[in-house]
Amino acid sequence: MSFKEWFVKRSPLPEMWREHMAEYYAPKNFNIFYYAGSLLLLMVVLQFLSGFLVLAHYIPTAEGAYDSVYGIMYDVHYGWLMQYMHVDGVSLIFVLLYVHMARGMLYGSYRSPRELVWIIGYTTYLAFMAEAFFGYVLPYSNLSYWAGTVITSLLKSIPFIGGWVTTLVRGGPGMSGDTLGRFMALHVTLVFLVIVGLIVFHILYLHKVGSNNPDGIEIKANKGPDGHPVDGIPFHPYYSVKDLFGFGVWLIIFGAIIFYAPTFHHIFLERTMSTPANPLKSLPDVTPPWYLSPFYAMLRSIPNKNAGIILMVFAVLIPFVLPWLDRNPVKSTRYRPITRIMLLIFFINFFVLAYLGEQPPLPKYFFMERLGAFIYVAFFILLPFVSKFEPTRTPPARVRFHAH
Amino acid sequence: MSDERQDSKHAPNVTRRRFLTALVTVSGAAVAGTIAVPMVKSLDPTAAAAALATTTIDLNPIEPGMQMVALWQEKPVIVVNRTPEMLATLDESEQKGILKDPNCNVPQQPPYCKNKYRSRVPEWYVGIKICNHLCCIPHYRPKKASVAPWWLGGFHCPCHGSMYDLSARVIKGSPAPHNMAVPEYDIDVAKKTVVVTKMYPLAHLC
Amino acid sequence: MKRYVVWAGMALGLLAGSASGAFADNGPQLLTPHYTYNAKTIISGARLFATNCMACHSIKFMRYEFLTHDLGMSKSDVHKYVMLPTGSTFKDNMISAMPTGMAHKWFGLPPPDLSQMVRYKSQDWIYTYLLSFYRDPKRPSGWNNHVFPNVAMPDVLAPYGGIVNEHGKLLRAGDESPQKFKEQVTDIVAFLRFVSDPSVVQRHDKGPWVLGLLAFFTIVAYFLKKEYWKEVK
Repeated sequence: MSFKEWFVKRSPLPEMWREHMAEYYAPKNFNIFYYAGSLLLLMVVLQFLSGFLVLAHYIPTAEGAYDSVYGIMYDVHYGWLMQYMHVDGVSLIFVLLYVHMARGMLYGSYRSPRELVWIIGYTTYLAFMAEAFFGYVLPYSNLSYWAGTVITSLLKSIPFIGGWVTTLVRGGPGMSGDTLGRFMALHVTLVFLVIVGLIVFHILYLHKVGSNNPDGIEIKANKGPDGHPVDGIPFHPYYSVKDLFGFGVWLIIFGAIIFYAPTFHHIFLERTMSTPANPLKSLPDVTPPWYLSPFYAMLRSIPNKNAGIILMVFAVLIPFVLPWLDRNPVKSTRYRPITRIMLLIFFINFFVLAYLGEQPPLPKYFFMERLGAFIYVAFFILLPFVSKFEPTRTPPARVRFHAH
Repeated sequence: MSDERQDSKHAPNVTRRRFLTALVTVSGAAVAGTIAVPMVKSLDPTAAAAALATTTIDLNPIEPGMQMVALWQEKPVIVVNRTPEMLATLDESEQKGILKDPNCNVPQQPPYCKNKYRSRVPEWYVGIKICNHLCCIPHYRPKKASVAPWWLGGFHCPCHGSMYDLSARVIKGSPAPHNMAVPEYDIDVAKKTVVVTKMYPLAHLC
Repeated sequence: MKRYVVWAGMALGLLAGSASGAFADNGPQLLTPHYTYNAKTIISGARLFATNCMACHSIKFMRYEFLTHDLGMSKSDVHKYVMLPTGSTFKDNMISAMPTGMAHKWFGLPPPDLSQMVRYKSQDWIYTYLLSFYRDPKRPSGWNNHVFPNVAMPDVLAPYGGIVNEHGKLLRAGDESPQKFKEQVTDIVAFLRFVSDPSVVQRHDKGPWVLGLLAFFTIVAYFLKKEYWKEVK
């Protein structure tokens, strides 16, 4: 008996390889947006590696945190590389998350039978938000300090138990070294493991129902004599080599940012990250990182604290029910011109909100912020009606694909 | 287009495929290596640690016959100011033949300390005060007959009774195998300073 | 916020006279230093910094040795021109000579650490700040600053650049020509920019090689992908 036979008899790996790679049939008409999924996996691995190595030099105390983080930049061999990988990696992960979600919305990937894939994926996005938040408090810069203070104070508006929860999260009446200890524990263990687990489930649930595609039609409905979808190709080798090429392009972008624009004009690494925490000196304006700022803009667009928080929570949670808001039998917006226009407005509006959330809290922005919040909410309210009555074109029976 | 021509256009070119696969594998491994090397390097001692790697000891407060211990790289370094009488005991212990390695043949010290004083300057002994047996820290016992009736002065380990003379050469009958280690150092007798620079790589501590 | 209020007031006052709109609502227009960012300017800035600034300001994350590794300065030059006689060694952090207790006594506040100042305030801000001192008899130090009103720091560069009053009238000329003085300030800014991220040397050294390798990988991966995908009809 060869070693291979001996191993195969005992290992589930060959079977898993077949099920998820060699004999997982994916539609052959994936376009450029479909790189985002595999790139996210790559980024999570890189984020884990760089995070592991910066953690090795980090000190979670109020006195030591800031200096230890800058000690990585100055004193650790290639510390700057680990640090910039970890910092810029966050922003790039959110770029990919937004592309990945926008693609799902464009082609109706959240629709039946993929509702759970969408819900698990959206939960992963929320977990990434938490992970990013805990992460940027850890350097204990003045931005960390005030961002941590502001975000944890949001918890105070939870009815009845708000005060208790806030103290529990902070480990005291305000931000302190104790907060850093628990945030580090959350950042490197609990939330990270939740993200990994959710990613595994996201893929397993996807592979159970099969991938959607830009035409939004089910390839499983049209099977060849071999029992495989005629418009499907095995993930390995076709999509695995394609994703390798995608990795290459993406790493060039990532590398160019790290080597030539590590702060990305202070969008990826804010200026206020470069001054230590000072409880006596609030920042001129506390703005969140760009990837959270759309929700922040909505929060402050309403001149009432609790109403603002309710609007923000609503804006964050409403996408969970998206699979049930869309009532059109056609999935892909390629064949639904009105929804497509609505979606494009929604995406542009999201960018505008992100920009507004970064601006100082001046009255001249209030109108724009309210308009943005209105468009965001209106999209979800209009969708059930528009999707029910909009005119559609008939999707093709087979996926559109031009052989190379 | 005939089926045949169609097929040849789509048929895999095995040689080309193998060649490209090899290229992708090799360059992919190079990319992985480019990421892995700095990652492993980031765990090297930091510049902050390197800045603490040398210790300067001021010899001024150490009077003849006295000693001082400084912490260097988490290890105790002892500096002894030996009097002429103390130096005389080194010859005495050699003559009595009680030393395991009187000529310091085992490289427990840098070459410039391979002499009976085991130091750069006879009066000043600089060494790591860790017993060669099981890493305990020996006591400094300079007084004659303080450990045993025949004791000439030296170091005595409280854990398992290893004994050393005033040059930290191990005395026969001790469980310790070798003389105590001497690190690399520079001494400036005029300025009265010792700079401990690094561990002598061949010496083993315990 | 206070800064905004002060500057809004000043801008209103100036508007009456000039109506030039040179001041935005959130502070004065910042000047941009023009220079080539290379080892020569940085080293010259390091020498000026050591002579004029380091008596009070630390750059605590920097070490003297980085000047040799990253900029190619010789060890003896670092000893001669940059290191202070504070007994620190070559591998030590660049800490100012001023004891913190004294700093509290003299200025009320310790002078800030400048390691990350360019990252925090931007190089334009530092450049403009250093050129915006004026004589103000009302201040205990005798100095004030257009960019940072009521700053505790005196104009240590006055011997080079000269002394002006609040409205820019020259009270005493400096030792250097205005052109040369601006160059010196620019060098200090270049040095502080380097201090805020010394990895720039390594990044720009290694960047092309890493990106070149990635480009090669991407190209072969592209051809391999094409080779496989030609089967897909």
